[in-house]
Order: sequence, then C-alpha cells, then structure tokens
Amino acid sequence: MAQDWKSFEPLLIPDIPNLERIDVYEENGGYDALKKILKDQDKWSRKSVVEEVKQANIRGRGGAGFNAGLKWSFMPDPDGGPRYLACNGDESEPGTFKDRKIFEFNPHLFIEGALIASYAMTVDTIYVYIRGEYISWVDMFQKAVDDAYEKGYLGENILGTDISIDLEITYGAGAYICGEETAMLESLEGKRGYPRTKPPFPAQNGLWGRPTTINNIETLANVPLVINNGADWYGDIGSEEHPGPVLYGISGHVNKPGVYEYPTGVPVLDLINDVAGGIRGGKDLKAIIPGGSSTPPLRADQLDGVTMNSDSLKDVGSMMGTAGMVVMDEDTDMVDVLWRIAHFYHHESCGQCTPCREGTGWLEKVLKKIKDGEGEMKDLDLLLDVGNQMEGRTICALADAAVWPVRHTINRFRDEFEARCKKSVHAIA
Amino acid sequence: MPEVFIDGKRYEYDEEKDEMLLQFILDQGLEVPFFCYHPSMSIPANCRQCMVKVGTPVKDRETGEFELDEDGERKIRWFPKFQTSCSTRLQDGMVVLTQESSEEVARAQKDNLEFILINHPLDCPICDQAGECPLQIQTYKYGPEGSRFEVKKVHKPKHVDLGPRVTLDAERCINCTRCVRFTEEISETHQLTIVDRGDSNYPTTGPGETFDDPYSLNTVDICPVGALTSTDFRFKARVWEMNQTPSIDITNGKGCNIDLWTRDNEVLRITPRQNKEVNDYWMPDEGRKAYERFNENRVDRPYIKLDGDNQSNTSWNNAIETFAEVLESNNPGDITIIGSPHASVEENYVFNKFFNLLGTSNAKFTPHVIPGSGDGFLITDDQAPNTNGCRVIKLDETDEQSIKATVSAAKVVIILSDDLIGRDILSSSDLNDPYTISFATNNTETTKASDLVIPITCIAEHAASYVNVDGRIQRSYPAKETKYTNRRLNLEMSEGRLDRFGTNFDNWVSEENKVDCLPIWDFLNKLGDRLGLDFKYDHSREIFAELSNSLDILSDVSYERMDEEKGVQLPIKQEEVKA
Repeated sequence: MAQDWKSFEPLLIPDIPNLERIDVYEENGGYDALKKILKDQDKWSRKSVVEEVKQANIRGRGGAGFNAGLKWSFMPDPDGGPRYLACNGDESEPGTFKDRKIFEFNPHLFIEGALIASYAMTVDTIYVYIRGEYISWVDMFQKAVDDAYEKGYLGENILGTDISIDLEITYGAGAYICGEETAMLESLEGKRGYPRTKPPFPAQNGLWGRPTTINNIETLANVPLVINNGADWYGDIGSEEHPGPVLYGISGHVNKPGVYEYPTGVPVLDLINDVAGGIRGGKDLKAIIPGGSSTPPLRADQLDGVTMNSDSLKDVGSMMGTAGMVVMDEDTDMVDVLWRIAHFYHHESCGQCTPCREGTGWLEKVLKKIKDGEGEMKDLDLLLDVGNQMEGRTICALADAAVWPVRHTINRFRDEFEARCKKSVHAIA
Repeated sequence: MPEVFIDGKRYEYDEEKDEMLLQFILDQGLEVPFFCYHPSMSIPANCRQCMVKVGTPVKDRETGEFELDEDGERKIRWFPKFQTSCSTRLQDGMVVLTQESSEEVARAQKDNLEFILINHPLDCPICDQAGECPLQIQTYKYGPEGSRFEVKKVHKPKHVDLGPRVTLDAERCINCTRCVRFTEEISETHQLTIVDRGDSNYPTTGPGETFDDPYSLNTVDICPVGALTSTDFRFKARVWEMNQTPSIDITNGKGCNIDLWTRDNEVLRITPRQNKEVNDYWMPDEGRKAYERFNENRVDRPYIKLDGDNQSNTSWNNAIETFAEVLESNNPGDITIIGSPHASVEENYVFNKFFNLLGTSNAKFTPHVIPGSGDGFLITDDQAPNTNGCRVIKLDETDEQSIKATVSAAKVVIILSDDLIGRDILSSSDLNDPYTISFATNNTETTKASDLVIPITCIAEHAASYVNVDGRIQRSYPAKETKYTNRRLNLEMSEGRLDRFGTNFDNWVSEENKVDCLPIWDFLNKLGDRLGLDFKYDHSREIFAELSNSLDILSDVSYERMDEEKGVQLPIKQEEVKA
C-alpha cells in the first residue's frame, strides 16, 4: 500500500463539525450518491450497482471479511413479496467499538449506504439492530432517521421516484449472540436469540422466511464512497486484497486509545506507536489481539512488518476481524487475559447446541483453576483437546470464536502457562 | 432411483419423500445416536449427537458425468465439517460414513457425549428415567469410558413443579428443546420456553404460569433424560420391573393407542403407543389417569341385595342361581337389556345374543357424548371408547328419555358396564321397582342401586376390540391377571422380569391385586349351562370370528389383522352414522 497513510483524509468520519446534522451532511455532498443513482436509473440499474460494489471489493467489516457486493448478489430475483436488509450494529465483540462512532458522527452516510443497498437488492424494509447498551446512540441515530424521513430520503416515493423504503431501529438486550447474523434475525422477529441452522441461508430464507441480507454498519457506510468515486478509486485505497478506509478501534495499554480512521494495510507497530501514542508508561509491547477478542493474539516478536489487512495477518496466524485492536504491555498476565476472554464466551454462549454450551464453561473453569494456581500440566492439553472437540461442530461460529484465543494463546505463550502450572499446588507430582 | 451409500452399502431412496438422512438411516434399521430429533417435530439440530461424515460425488460441469479417480471410483468431495444427519437432506450419490465405519465419526460422537455428560448429575440410580433413558443407553453404546471433567458442575433448580402433573429437574436437562417444541408445535399452548443462557439454561414456564397443558405428560415421554418426570408416577417403579402391554385408551372416543405398564398385577402407568393413523406419539393426560380405575374401586366378587338397600358379597354359585331364577320367573317381554358404549364389541355382542336367545328384544344403548368437551385433536366429545362398535353390531341406539321410559316399564333391567345414574340418565328411584342386574368393572352409582352386581373384567384384563369415533377397530390385550387367569398359561399376556424370575412367595407379590371377576362371556357360559342354553365361548377371539362371519362390515377383519396393521379402518364415519 501507499506509504502515505499518515496523510490520509478520513472518509467515513471526516473532520467536519456537526456532520450528524442532515443539512450539514447535505452541504458536504451528502445523499449525492443516492440522488445520482435514482436520477439515472437506466445507467445505475439495480444490477449495475451490485456489480460496482462487488467490483470495489468492500470486505465485510463485521469480522468475516466477505465481499459485500457478492453477498448482495445472492439475493434471489424479486417475487413481489417483502425483502429485508438487516443492518448489524450489535457490535459486542470485546475490543470493538467502531459502529457507534458512525451512529454518533456520520449517521447519514450509513443511511445513504443502506438505501443504496436496498435499491440494489429491491429491498423495501431496513432493520437496524443496535446493541442494547448503546441506548444513547439509539436516540442519536433515531434523530438522524427522523430527519431523513422528513427530507424524503426514507419513506414513500423517495426523491419523487416510485421507490419506497422504510427504516426501523431495534435494539438488543445485551446478548453477544444477537450479533450472530441469524440469531439477530430471530431477535428481530421477537424470539430468543438462537442462531439458525444453515442452510437455508438468509438470502433465501431470512426474516419471517423472506429473502434477507445482513450487513455490518461500517460496511454499508463504505457504499456511498464507492458510488461517488467509483470502484477503481476505492480499490486503490489501502491494501489490494482488502481495500478501503477502516475504523481502527485501539484499546488497551496505549497512551491514546480510541477510534482512528486509516486505510487498510497500516503497519501494526505504526498504529500502536504513531497513531495511539505508544505504550503507556514507556513499557514494552507484549502482545496484541488484532481484531476483537475472537481473533488469535500475536506476540510482539511476530509483528515485524505485519500490516492490518487480511493477507498479512493471515500469514502470521491471525485475522483482521473487526479491526478492534487490544494492545497489551510487558506486565500483562496472559493467563489472566485468556481466562477473562474465556469467561466472556462462557457467559455469552446461548446454550442452544451442546459443544458450545458445555465446552465454553469447561474452558473457563479449567482456566480459572490454572489462574488460581491450581492447574496441572495435563490441563493445558485438556484445554486444547476440548477446543478441538468444539470447533466446527456447532450451529454458529461462537464456539470457534471461543476456541481460537484459547488455542493460540496457549500455543504462543505456552511457557507462561506452564510456569503457572509448575508453581501450582498440584505440581509436586 | 436416486441412491446413497451408507458405510459402503448402497441404498435407494424415494426422492418425493424429501427425507432427511437421519430418518432414512433409522428407516433402514441402522442406527446413529441422537437426542433432539423427533420425527413429528421440527429439526433444531441442537444436540449435535447425530454427526456423520458426508460427501458428494464430483461431477464434471460440462458433461454432468461423475468424475472418476485412478481406480475408476467416483471422486468424492467431503464436507469440511461433520454434518448433523438429522438436518442433512438426501442427495443423489451422497456418501455417508457413520460411527460404524469411521473412527473419526465415532470419536466426534464420543466427544459430544462427553460434553453432554459433564454437567449432567449422573444420578441414574435414583432417576426414574433409568432403564428407558436415551442418554443412558447411548452413553453405554457410544460414550466415553470416564470423564476428564474435574471441576465443579453447574447447579440448577431441582424438583420444580412445572404444573399439576409434571416435575422438572433442570440439572438433568440436556436442552434438546423437545418439550418446548412440543408445546409450540403439537399442543400449541406455548407454555414452555428455555430460560437463561449457556450452560445454565433450562426449560420452564413463564413467571407465574403453570404447565397445565392437557397434553403436558407427553413431554415426559419425549424427554430424552429424566429432567421431566410424571409427578404421579415418580419413584413408583423401576422400568425393568414392569410389563408393557399394548392397549387402547378408553377415556374418550379417539381410541389412542397406549401401553399399560403393570407390576404385580397393578397398572402403574399408561403411556402412548405410536400409531400414525390415530394418535401419532401422543395422548391426553386424562387418559393416563385411567390406570387408577383398573386397580381401585373394582367390583370384587358378586354383590347381592338381600335386605332392603344393603348389598353384600355373595358366591358365584349363588349369583348364577339368583340370576337364573330372575330370568326364569319373568316374561322375556318384561326384561330390558341395556348395552354400553363403554364396553367392547365382544361384550356387547355376547350380552345381547345371550338374552336374545331367551327371547328379549334387542339391547338398547345411549351414546355418552358431552358436546363441546372435545378439542379437535385427541380429546373427543364422545366420552366412551366404543360408540361406533355398538352401532356396528346393530344395538338399538336410543336417546336418554326413551331409556328412562323403557326402564320404568320393565320388570327386570340388565345393564352392561354403564353408569346410567352417574350420567344423570336415570335416578336411583327409577331402579327401585324393577329387579336390576349390573355387569360392572367398577363400583358406581348404578351398581349401588342394583339388586345383583356381576363383576366383569376391564380392558386391562381381557382381549377385546373397540371401534373409535373415526370408525377404526382396534383391540386390547390382557395386562393384569384376575383370580382365574394365569400369566404363564395365557399366551397373550406379557411376562416381565419379576414374573419370569420371581415366585409367588416373593414379598412383592400380593394376591390382593387380582380381582375376583370374570370375562362376561365366561359368566354367561356358566349361566347358559344353568339355563340349558346352547351358548359357549372360550375366548373373545371366537366371538369376534363369529361376528366377522355374520357381519359384512367385519368380514375381512380379524384379531391377526388388527395386530399386524395396528387396527383396521372400517368403512364408517361417525358423521355418516349420525346423518
């Protein structure tokens, strides 16, 4: 990627005061992309919008990194019945706090993106699912939606066309699992947030059995940029296989934690030292979790030349995830960190299917035992074994997300875990 | 025909049935362990126990032909993960490896059972489900030998009264959601849901709600562990101590297929027996309570009124003598006989035939219907199991008023198994004048008002057939002995472990549980002997054979056919009979 990432001007959350106000947004070219499409529907047919977005290769920002346009193209042809776009603003993965910036500072960019997506997929209703803890952001975003309705961007006959799209905000009640796309659909339907078995996939059988596409908030906020500037322009931002601007959420032992917008492909160490102001107290870096708690952690010595894009992170054995990076300094106790992560997944497992319901608890309890100085060496192998028994055998990916940090933290910091077990009360044998 | 290969063996399947792999495997008589799947409910694939390895053959995109490897075998593209066979649709050419041929699959199933067991209390020795517990059985077959779980188990509520009939032990629950799905999809009361999450979740009712679903006990049957138990049956008997005998529910007109579970000649519980044509896997709770009437409040030895209104027990000889004298001293025209929709086809038939031989007119009967009490599912307005059976053998169907009129005009009234006073058709004063003889299984208002009561066998003690509201004829088997039957000599009676290996001197054996009663045909044989009638039936089978020969509608029906086909649909419908 270009070396000039430092001079990058933010696109998702540009430095414009009061951009959350619809008049300010409009003054700064807001809703131009939507107008451009709706005014010239011959040029911007629904198919060609999908094609353009697919071409731009917006990789889903919710963690899986799937090409958004390709996902849109899975929707079946319209049959006259209702079709839905479900926007996932549940972001509850520890280390992730980017979408709320969009709700707060540039909500109309997301609304515009969702409208373009709805046009492209012939969707008539947009649901925005926001995590329950974000109740103030729900209020902020509701204001933006009300304004958009008032100005005729939402509702009946948008901008004088025969296209009508509604947007409704729903919020969860604090369950991580409702960020899983099919559990979110269940929750939207008013049911218990249990992930669905796939197939059938949501594009065929989603909300109330109708075709539904689920996109992350940040993913949709990228769409107007692509329409305004073209897929080629977008593809030139950041790294080639994973282009575009990204909201990096940096937390942990850094001097300036926060959400920072830069292109993909920024070197990890630059993000820590230049963007986030370096490690707190001048200490040394020990490890990072690159993209939310489920992505495998990396040791400091693994980070040379590693950049924040999917290929580079994959090479060193981790993932981009949500780009919510947790930075840990030399004093961090990795056993404690892993126990805390395992505790989270144990607490958040929905309990629907066996390996995850039982396995997450087992992992946490054994880690607690090690943390409390009662671990044995055989517990480490047990943890890896339990993880293998869980991975790939469940309905959704929560079990996988719970297993990866356990496996990789133990493998990458094994000496620390072994030291703890050897010092334990059971170590005499 | 499309084909699948299971453990290397080829099977053909019917594409139109749109079957799932697990059901297909079970239909072939093969086995894959499972807990949450139930053939009559939706498929949540949540227990993850039925994992198998699945692959599909690789096809050349252009020619559509199967691609072959060097050995000329079809190339198989294996799914990267194990698939739950319950939710995997059959596909032409699919290759399946189960635990029988794949160590990988066997290991995965073992792993899953290890997970299920880590928070299970393993209290089989005190659990009612033990002996008929899918978790216990499958753990022995496919589970790990020990456990590596050395930390603390999760604790959850125990002995919770979910409702009047069902008790929950949440720790035993493995969250298969069968009970929840039952109330959502079958009984449609939506009374149960899963609460809490992760390893602390369990099924329960909403706050302040009780689980009083009229079908609630079915959840106990389908619970694959001992989490839901019957409050009434809890701790009464171990499963392996009981005999299981097929029978028919007699509490309403649907004729749900059931099993009677007996120990030492007491019926201890009733569970539904699967019959797709009648009740599928289900039955109403009301029908399960009927076991009490087979054990308690029975007419035991004949009763006779000697002084005023006081009844006392009498000998069979005296009962026969008295009965004969009453018949001999009265004009047949003055004798009214009343059959019963509560009694079987055979009982009604011999009852009617015997007295017709003496010259009485045809037996009357009045249906026992309470309009509006049915629910359109398995509870019917008809309160009796054999209304259509009385119609089939052409008894005189009359309304309640005319029964009353006939009775008041008669000098002798003979009633078969019908509590006409309890049903408010007659009052006890109606029976003051005529000499009343009741054939009865249980003490009722009507037997109390009778001058002579002859104890007869109930459905749990004889083989007999019943025609349900839909015109389906089904039969019962003897499940408990009377004073005059012997389990070891009666080929139709099942023998449980205790019957086979115990002796009459075991301390659990109680002769009291055997009722002093006779099948009505046995009694009528004796009465016929006394009266010099040509009347003799050794078994209800003979009675039915005679009926089958004389009635067109039953001409191709036999006990054997009922056994093989789980009952036979007769060409009648209740609506048609009424119209």
